[in-house]
Amino acid sequence: MRVRIVSIAMLAALVITAPMLVVAQPKEMFIPLLVYRTGPYAPSGIPIADGFVDYFTLLNERDGGINGVKVAWEECETQYDNKQGVECYERLKGKSPVLVNPYSTAITYSLIPKASVDKVVVFSMGYGMSAASDGRWFPWVFNFPTNYWSQASAVIRYIGQQEGGVEKLKGKKIAHIFHNSAYGKEANPTLEELARKYQFELTLLAVDHPGQEQKATWLQVRRLNPDWIFM
Amino acid sequence: MPQTKDTPLGRAGGVRAGSNGPVPSTRRRAWRRRMEPSRPGAARACGVVRATPPAPRPPGPVGHRQVIYREAGQFKETYASDQAIFPIVQDRVVVLAAAVAAFVVPPLVASEYWLQAVLIPFLIYALAAIGLNLLTGYAGQLSLGTGGFMAVGAYAAFKLATAFPQLNVIVVFLLSGVVAAAVGLLFGIPSLRIKGFYLAVATLASQFFLLWLFNKVAWFTNYASSGTITAPDRTLFGALITGPNSTPSARYLTALGLVAVFALVAKNLVRGRVGRSWMAIRDRDIAAEIIGVRPLRTKLLAFAISSFYCGVAGAELVFLYLGSAETLAFDISISFLVLFMVIIGGLGSIVGSFLGAAFIVLVPIVLSNAPHAVGLRLPVALQKQIELMVFGGLIIFFLIVEPRGLARLWQITKEKLRLWPFPH
Repeated sequence: MRVRIVSIAMLAALVITAPMLVVAQPKEMFIPLLVYRTGPYAPSGIPIADGFVDYFTLLNERDGGINGVKVAWEECETQYDNKQGVECYERLKGKSPVLVNPYSTAITYSLIPKASVDKVVVFSMGYGMSAASDGRWFPWVFNFPTNYWSQASAVIRYIGQQEGGVEKLKGKKIAHIFHNSAYGKEANPTLEELARKYQFELTLLAVDHPGQEQKATWLQVRRLNPDWIFM
Repeated sequence: MPQTKDTPLGRAGGVRAGSNGPVPSTRRRAWRRRMEPSRPGAARACGVVRATPPAPRPPGPVGHRQVIYREAGQFKETYASDQAIFPIVQDRVVVLAAAVAAFVVPPLVASEYWLQAVLIPFLIYALAAIGLNLLTGYAGQLSLGTGGFMAVGAYAAFKLATAFPQLNVIVVFLLSGVVAAAVGLLFGIPSLRIKGFYLAVATLASQFFLLWLFNKVAWFTNYASSGTITAPDRTLFGALITGPNSTPSARYLTALGLVAVFALVAKNLVRGRVGRSWMAIRDRDIAAEIIGVRPLRTKLLAFAISSFYCGVAGAELVFLYLGSAETLAFDISISFLVLFMVIIGGLGSIVGSFLGAAFIVLVPIVLSNAPHAVGLRLPVALQKQIELMVFGGLIIFFLIVEPRGLARLWQITKEKLRLWPFPH
């Protein structure tokens, strides 16, 4: 009995003191990686997460880091879920990260107000809040090189090219099939504006989380018979 | 009066009808099972109340030096003292001390991570669990619409707070609870005709319909292009309590204050006429109707009050915890999560709602931090899978060990403590 109590106490002490024993190493930049290797979006989350790790490893081994400073990272599983992402951010922000890579638009939205208070850089490349491109209002958030609005206009421009000039878009049917969340909806205002400008017929078709139920959407697509589909 | 055995005096006198004592007849056991949630009331009805003051005795718990949890010697001299929420002095002291400690200790010692990622969600989920427990645990109406009702509260709070910036944020919370109550009332109507699993499916429809509505109609999000609602900065007593600039301590104290008040209200509701009519409907609706409980009013009241609690919890989820949210934050998994809290914590128990919420919120966080704390570096995906498996295993373990939830384990502990140090 006593042995058990002592061993339990020692284990508890170990659990408490172990994190303190990890000595912080200088000359490293810490980047938390919020990933979704499990959950409904894992099929796209795993390669992306692996890609980040591979690239950081490459930078460390080939170039000795970025400007001679090695990259250190820690992954945190979010399952593409807002609450788990916020929990990850709260857990990892204490390790003075160079930047936080949320890899989810919804999580980015939750982190934007917090980041400016905590003075943490949020880098949502190509996703997150499009309006955050304006550094006057969002000094702690970066989303270069593109955002949802520029991506949407690039798509329309490409379609225009294929059709032989944007003026040919008039009367064409373009469907946007989007994830019914902040991630999918962001492009809609731009597409609506461009539809007015170039007078093409825009149909917005939402696919709800987690995206497995798309039968109704594709029935609508079949009925609509659009010239172009943007997913 | 067979209940005499259950009175504290009878118990302390060594006669015990509990699990290890003399085996009661099956009929009596069945009666006890049905009466379980209202047992304090049953014990009360049979009267340790004395009309005349007892002979002078030394005040407070007396007796054996080692006996710490024992109510012998505590006599109730008024009906009010007999009907107290915690009739035993030790219970009162412990609960009061715990409440005071909850207000004082965490803001002083807890780190930002603990407040922000553990304690605040725990309090918010506890409030939602109390709400669902009133409906499912006390009134016996199985509901899977919790996430939807929480979303109603959150979106109502967002609309109210942005439309009337002068409105006090506590008033916003209460009003959003009222809006959720109205919606809950509407979706409670099917409960008059259908029961059990069928009702669960009907409430599931409300879950999907409400989220679809908030996703579809841009008015609810003030036409935000992303469909995300964000909590504005609001103050209470001159201190910021919502929005990103508020301190975690301020938000924690707000959540704690609300949950403390609402838990007290809920406890009193279930002890009174309303709660008893809910339990009557739960136990046998036809019998309840015969003795004069109106099913329409009782069931709809349960739906309204439960939705009120869930609505306030939903508003808090956005305003005090996440800061911003889209409908995905209130999806079906939240409904199941709160239902698990209620089942694991204990159906028909207010303290069980807290225990269940603590279990569901804390265990995954402990599990996800544990490998790191012992210096073990696992791939995150594997760690998440292990976390899910262990968590699921723990749920099954606790449900097998005590199907009536953690609250029942707590009750058994207290009963054992009463007889301690005598093994019985």
